[in-house]
Amino acid sequence: MTARTFLAAGILGLGLAGQGAQADPTSYPLEIENCGQTVTFEDAPDHAVALGQNSAEIMLMLGLEDRMAATAFWPNEVLPELAEANAGVELLTVEFPTLETVLSVQPDFVAAMLVTLMGPDSKVAKREDFEALGIPTYLSPSACSVTAVSTDIYGARAELWTMDQVYEEIDDLSRIFDVVDRGEAVIEDLKTREAALRDRFEHHDDLTFLFWFSSPSPEDDAYLAGGNGPSSYIADLLGGSNAIKTGSEWPTLGWEGIMASDPTVIVAAQVDRERWTLDEAENKIAFLESDPIVSQMEAVATGRIVVMPGAATNPGVQTLYGAEEVASQLEALDLPE
Amino acid sequence: MIAGGPANGVLRLGLLAIGSCLVLGFAIAVATAIGDYTIDLGTVFLAITNGLGLSGAELPPIEESVVWDLRLSRALVAALAGAGLALCGAILQALLRNPLAEPFVLGISAGASTGAVCVIVLGVGAGSLSLSAGAFAGAFAAFGVVALLSNGATSGPNHTILAGVAASQLFNALTSYIVTTSGSAEQARNVMFWLLGSFGGVRWPDFQLLLVTVPLGLAICIYMARALDAFTFGDEDAAALGVPVGRIRLVLFAVTAVMTATIVSMVGAIGFVGLVVPHAARYVVGPMHMRLLPACAVIGAIFMVTADIVSRVIVAQQTIPIGVVTALVGVPFFALILYRARPQT
Repeated sequence: MTARTFLAAGILGLGLAGQGAQADPTSYPLEIENCGQTVTFEDAPDHAVALGQNSAEIMLMLGLEDRMAATAFWPNEVLPELAEANAGVELLTVEFPTLETVLSVQPDFVAAMLVTLMGPDSKVAKREDFEALGIPTYLSPSACSVTAVSTDIYGARAELWTMDQVYEEIDDLSRIFDVVDRGEAVIEDLKTREAALRDRFEHHDDLTFLFWFSSPSPEDDAYLAGGNGPSSYIADLLGGSNAIKTGSEWPTLGWEGIMASDPTVIVAAQVDRERWTLDEAENKIAFLESDPIVSQMEAVATGRIVVMPGAATNPGVQTLYGAEEVASQLEALDLPE
Repeated sequence: MIAGGPANGVLRLGLLAIGSCLVLGFAIAVATAIGDYTIDLGTVFLAITNGLGLSGAELPPIEESVVWDLRLSRALVAALAGAGLALCGAILQALLRNPLAEPFVLGISAGASTGAVCVIVLGVGAGSLSLSAGAFAGAFAAFGVVALLSNGATSGPNHTILAGVAASQLFNALTSYIVTTSGSAEQARNVMFWLLGSFGGVRWPDFQLLLVTVPLGLAICIYMARALDAFTFGDEDAAALGVPVGRIRLVLFAVTAVMTATIVSMVGAIGFVGLVVPHAARYVVGPMHMRLLPACAVIGAIFMVTADIVSRVIVAQQTIPIGVVTALVGVPFFALILYRARPQT
């Protein structure tokens, strides 16, 4: 990380010294350090496959739709401002694709957002499958964020996840595709918006958020967002903390436990997949307000319920968009002093 | 059934053997020829001969890799896994004198799941221990528990089955506990993917491992075929016939455990094959193990390769979990055998 920052600073410094604020074009062959592997690019990809929504959305943000062969694995709807660009890119499947399908579009680069999509134990593909064919690969830093103290190959986060990993990913991809200028502009924009949110909300020790992702039914234990994942980062960014203090990133909890956690604000996720009735935010709110016991929670009784896209709970660019949506609703609420 | 003397019987068996091997070869050929990526048959043929070193045709590298590295290795792994599971089913049905016995009755699959989940979720030995190694260790832990509870599997078939049920429950509970208390969404998805069983992740090294394990297991079991015949009359009768009951039982349980653990740690828990195939094989060649075991291996292989083909083509661009298909394909087939073999009153 430090070496990378140093390198980025070096590149930036050279750029500044050379030709004003113009970033240097990527010189190939390019070597990228990614998830403990060194990947070499002979030239800029122009037939890339994005495995996973976040990888795809970053490429689209960089304006690379003409250089994308296909995408797969979309748990949520694409960001509205990217919908038009995304419509021109072939969609393999919104679920897990097969390796054969991915290869059938003749990719010259494959980027993935999860180790389940591309990793040593993945049933879809291993990095070596592509490397053997001379196809370079890239795995999202959020997917392999292993800390020195973590014993978990899947990146149980010892520290709070932050947008920095997304910025690193955007920077890497912009250098791979030789669109460093665009990458810098995108990162600049996101960083500005992140800082603006940070400045807008003072920190309150007693401000807690409960992130309700979904439930199979009202009687079942609810899936909540906890641990050090993106939701806890959103809570932190908006001056509060997660009401659920477990280390687990996706704990399940019964309503008794949820009531005991007594959150200041309840965040109802709008999950786009059509699996359970309570995936829909409006059904969550209807349950909260109509259940004779749950409706007595202070957050419900005082109407402190906000809605956020489910995609924001996964690490990626959508996390910041989710934080902004929560922020705009938060200001309309009557929060306790 | 061809009426006639023993010579006719041998001829019939020979024809059956040749015929079933041809069917297996055909199934593997079909599995190699079809998939999401449309590749013309000439290229498929050349990719295979290239792989075998019989030709040196210039082919598009991606197409060659899809045929040789993905489809062929997968079909061969499916064949060996099917053969191994069917073989284990036949052995356990004989040892435990129970027509419902199958490899997973001894809790081996539950143990393998726990081992895999430990690696995924807890990161036990992360980096040094792969998911497969964890599954293998878990399978053996379960086998150890069963061996301990049933006094080295010598305390009678029912006792062993009960010990297996207890081990299954224990390890399933452990798995659930680990997943619910410390899984992230990504981990839970990994676990589900793994538990459902899939040939998606297999490559040539997996085939090489099975190529050692399964034929070796088959050889050991065929070597003990006569003892297995004796077992079907019960332990006391087998002992009276001069069979070293305890030792053979332990050796065969160990062979079953090694084969099942290897297969499960590679492709996940695929049920039904070990239960159904031995009955189908008995229906075709009778109950004598010298014939039954090879028949189980071939039929199991054909069944699993076919199930994998179905799982890949039933929904375009997606793979249905193989365990779902083995049940969907297997149940009607099993029902037919039950119907044909019903007692005539």
